[in-house]
Amino acid sequence: MSRVNPKFATELSKYGSSDFNACFNCGNCTATCSLSTADSSFPREMIRYTTLGLEDDIKASLKPWECYYCGECSSECPRQAEPGELMMSLRRYLTAQYDWTGLSGLLYKSLPLSITAFILTFVGVIVFAFSVGFELEKMIHFGHLFEGIAIGTIGLVILMPNIARMWYFTILKPKTKVPFMKYLKSMGELFIHMFTQKRALGCDDNQFRWFEHFILVIGYLSLLFTTVALNWFGTSSLFVIVLGYVMSAIVFVVTIDFVSSRIKKDKAVSKHSQPSDIFFVVWLFFMGFTAFLVRLFIDLDLLEMNKWLYIFHLTVLVQWALIIVPFGKWTHFLYRSFAMYFAKLKEK
Amino acid sequence: MKQRIGVYICHCGGNISDYVDVEELGKMFHQEENVVVSKDVMFACADSNQKDMVADIQANKLDAIVVCSCSPKLHLHTFKNVAARAGLNPSNYVQVNIREQCSWPHSDRPREATVKAAGLIRAGINRVSYSESLENIELTVKKSALVIGAGVSGMKAAIDLARSGNEVFLIEKDFFVGGRIAQKQTLFPTNQNGKEVVTFLYNEMKKFPNITIFTGATVEKVSGSLGNFSVDIKVKPRYIKPSADKRSVERAMGECPVTIHDDFNLGLVERKAIYKNYPEALPDVPVVDAEALKDAHDFTSKFASTLNLNEEAQTLSLIAGSVLVTTGYDHYQPKEGEYGYKTISNVVTLPELNRLMEMNPEKLVYKGKQIKSLAFIYCVGSRQTKGDNKYCSRQCCTSTIHTSLQLKEKYKDIQTYHLYRDIRTYGKQELMYAESSKQGDLYFKYEEKEMPVVSVDGKSTIVKVKDYLTAKKEMEIEADLVVLVTGMVAREDATTISELFKIPIGRDKFFNEIHPKLKPVETVIKGVYIGGTCQGPKNVSESVQSSLAGASKITALLKSGTVSVDPIIASVDANKCTWCGKCSDVCDFTAIKEVLFGEKHVAGVNKAVCTGCGICAPVCPENVIEIAQYTDNEIESMIDGFMMDFDIKEKGTGEVVEVEEEGKVGMKEYPLVWREILAGMTAEKNTIPEIVANTKLAGELVTFHLMTMNRYGVVVPAGMDAKETYYYYKRK
Ligand SMILES: Cc1cc2nc3c(=O)[nH]c(=O)nc-3n(C[C@H](O)[C@H](O)[C@H](O)COP(=O)(O)OP(=O)(O)OC[C@H]3O[C@@H](n4cnc5c(N)ncnc54)[C@H](O)[C@@H]3O)c2cc1C
Ligand code: SF4
Ligand code: SF4
Ligand code: SF4
Ligand code: SF4
Ligand code: SF4
Repeated sequence: MSRVNPKFATELSKYGSSDFNACFNCGNCTATCSLSTADSSFPREMIRYTTLGLEDDIKASLKPWECYYCGECSSECPRQAEPGELMMSLRRYLTAQYDWTGLSGLLYKSLPLSITAFILTFVGVIVFAFSVGFELEKMIHFGHLFEGIAIGTIGLVILMPNIARMWYFTILKPKTKVPFMKYLKSMGELFIHMFTQKRALGCDDNQFRWFEHFILVIGYLSLLFTTVALNWFGTSSLFVIVLGYVMSAIVFVVTIDFVSSRIKKDKAVSKHSQPSDIFFVVWLFFMGFTAFLVRLFIDLDLLEMNKWLYIFHLTVLVQWALIIVPFGKWTHFLYRSFAMYFAKLKEK
Repeated sequence: MKQRIGVYICHCGGNISDYVDVEELGKMFHQEENVVVSKDVMFACADSNQKDMVADIQANKLDAIVVCSCSPKLHLHTFKNVAARAGLNPSNYVQVNIREQCSWPHSDRPREATVKAAGLIRAGINRVSYSESLENIELTVKKSALVIGAGVSGMKAAIDLARSGNEVFLIEKDFFVGGRIAQKQTLFPTNQNGKEVVTFLYNEMKKFPNITIFTGATVEKVSGSLGNFSVDIKVKPRYIKPSADKRSVERAMGECPVTIHDDFNLGLVERKAIYKNYPEALPDVPVVDAEALKDAHDFTSKFASTLNLNEEAQTLSLIAGSVLVTTGYDHYQPKEGEYGYKTISNVVTLPELNRLMEMNPEKLVYKGKQIKSLAFIYCVGSRQTKGDNKYCSRQCCTSTIHTSLQLKEKYKDIQTYHLYRDIRTYGKQELMYAESSKQGDLYFKYEEKEMPVVSVDGKSTIVKVKDYLTAKKEMEIEADLVVLVTGMVAREDATTISELFKIPIGRDKFFNEIHPKLKPVETVIKGVYIGGTCQGPKNVSESVQSSLAGASKITALLKSGTVSVDPIIASVDANKCTWCGKCSDVCDFTAIKEVLFGEKHVAGVNKAVCTGCGICAPVCPENVIEIAQYTDNEIESMIDGFMMDFDIKEKGTGEVVEVEEEGKVGMKEYPLVWREILAGMTAEKNTIPEIVANTKLAGELVTFHLMTMNRYGVVVPAGMDAKETYYYYKRK
């Protein structure tokens, strides 16, 4: 027995979607969706849960993560209920639910709060730069150290517990029995999806976007590796330097296309961009671009100017690491892969 | 007796001639005595053939014709018109159906089909030779119409009838006009106020001196027929002196000490015993409930100059050429306990909610509690597969959704839940449905076999529903008010009207038209029409459309002052009639009355009323009733004709050939089902239920196939079982 809760719709609309009430359950969207299957059918079911406010069912569902937002369903919906956008909003909502700190939810729902967070981190960086007398060397050294520590801490304190919560909501709470061996055997699923997003290939007419996305993920992870493990800004190994250039270039070139489509709103996925989506792509672009320039200025020996550039780069980095990664859209990278893994576990 | 008969036998392309040997028949009937022309023709109904027929008739001076072709439903009038064009009385025409009755059903046995056709044609020739020339019956009619029921349907029709120059009598049972729409504040789709529409129509009617409105009036007695209905009506008293001035009447209304059940507000409140349905109700004279005031002596004596409690009902007689019945519908009244109606305090019906909304302009309050959420349960009292009301009430989905939009507009912060079976917001009404979803109304689909359950849980009312839109999950909805979307049922007193006017009513108790498409507002009673919701559920537009159709029919009918009706009616041979009255007893249409024939009392048939149904003819002990075109001579000669022997030769061979022996029709391979059935015939002989049990095939399928298998000689019947309920079948 589930109690109907119409207030949930108002709550969910804070995460973006607001047209879903128009749905009259015809099921065209589900029929159109090339990722929906007989065993896991969506998006109509998720719309239904949302309009009725069945929060437990929504939290227990992995379906929002199975959607890659091709937007087909939205264009076929006879009531313009924007089912694709609802799936997106549910992902934001779920991200907020998984986050034990509750900050994700606050930042998603309030733009002023997000801007305040960005400003505060910026002020922090300036204060730090001031404390080291704007010395480039010290700043780069700190930046490198910060990256390592941030990755470890955020991973351990925020992301891991959040994944555990996701597991609790989707597997433990609905009382799904999963033998231990299955956890091990299905591990492969996790990594395949994390690095390839292979499922998105199933979307019709979506091959190019998948490819872009794939390159971006590889580029981003390699850039991370080059800067953190190979200390790109400090190294004199020619191989590492060139690798860094290539990877940062990939990141900012691909993101240019993403940003421009968000601005042009030409694809379904970008029609209803929320601030969190914009921050994500724009900051990714800044990351790649400023990293590229910082290293270029080092190589050109333009040290005085590089100071300011680096402060900009560091600000982006800190905001990325402290806001976007733990509480923003970055997490979809993790949750999607884990969703595929959990879905595998739930399979009979 | 007709001496010069023309017979035309049609090929119908090949529809007939592929199986029935029409050429042979054409030749054969040429030899009949009295048959002057006998031909086979490719398409009898073709223009060219019609022209040829006219020429034949005139050239050969034919006095009767028979066309042997398709069903008279298709072409009776085509060929009657051919006869008329050739100067022949259309009654001297008979159509024989050798397509639907011979070639199509007997396509597997051409010879038998031909023999049967020959019999039917001979019967037709015999019949036509006894045919008489008949003229349509002309009746004089009075240019006045009686409209019963002053709802929106009746008022609109009255206005149209009056505008076309008819005298109109509008009879309303209630003391105020308007019917149901007065009870609804805003009507879909225009959002007009129901009462304003009523006022508008009333004022419009007042502009026509040829409309007479009777309120508090009912029909008591009806006699006469098309053109001259004579109707007695009873007008109930209002108990207000005609001399009383308006102010004193208003004072009496204000001071009245007694309250009574308020029918207009569906019993949600009480009203004074001197009342109007609502302040602007029309005609603008209140009504006194004399019964309720009978002990209020102080009050009645104080207003003695205003009230007249001894006023008597009046009976008036009216003559009307035609009648339009627009008596409307009743709301379905849920049984006690149906979804908690009357047993749970906050369960109401949709019409009740509509009244409540009008009474609560600011906040929606019911029994002292503010209502913030409502659960509507649809189809209550409609679409009952087990109950009496099988039909869909058609307007209630839209009414509910429209009410839901109104609720939001009026009271803002309100949540509605809709538990429906199917949403039927057909046509433009669909847009309201979309609007309702968009404003956040929640829809749940239930099935009749798993109806929602209303229950009380502490202080709150809970509706439980198995939601077919959420994988049949059980949902719990908390609602401040549960609203039963009750449908439309026939007026309780529809049977009285039906008996008075002999209008047939259907199993659903609504009045029946003759044909839903071809005669949608006509009843089998000539001159009596139906319009609006007394015919079945309709919204206002549809009600008005049908009542206006009725009004136009009446105007057309009364326009010339005479009407012409079909001559197929009963006639009594007055010389031989002994007036036993038996025919009069059986006539459903009271067409037969005792009349004087010279000194003698005999049965007289009212030509305007008789429908030619024929019931009276066989009951007459003297056998003196004949039905035109179905006289004893005609029918008996048809039987003789059909019984005669024929010597029909098989096409081409010139000699009589037996059709193939049964069983010889070899089937190379039996269909799969046949083989399954044969496999299921495990015993020496089996009944159908046994075969069904053995094969798991559907019973109808087994029965159907056994019949075919029997025809092809695969199985044979083998007697009945001990209880004589089933036949045995065995393999052959
Ligand atoms: C809850 C509800 C809401 C609705 N809302 C809408 C809406 O918003 N828009 C819309 O288009 N439709 C609506 N409808 C439908 C609408 O009410 C009907 O279509 C309309 O009232 C039909 O009018 P009528 O004249 O045929 O019948 P009625 O309104 O029933 O009028 C019949 C009249 O005949 C009188 N009468 C009955 N028997 C006799 C008799 N024996 N002798 C003399 N007089 C008699 C009655 O007193 C009455 O005045 C609604 C229906 C319901 C149930
Ligand atoms: S296509 Fe649109 S209306 Fe139909 S079920 Fe999907 S969201 Fe609802
Ligand atoms: S956006 Fe694409 S993947 Fe997502 S539900 Fe709609 S059709 Fe399916
Ligand atoms: S008269 Fe009838 S049977 Fe003959 S061609 Fe016309 S439709 Fe066919
Ligand atoms: S109109 Fe709607 S509520 Fe009324 S009976 Fe038909 S389906 Fe049911
Ligand atoms: S034919 Fe029918 S309607 Fe006519 S008088 Fe006989 S019984 Fe009555």
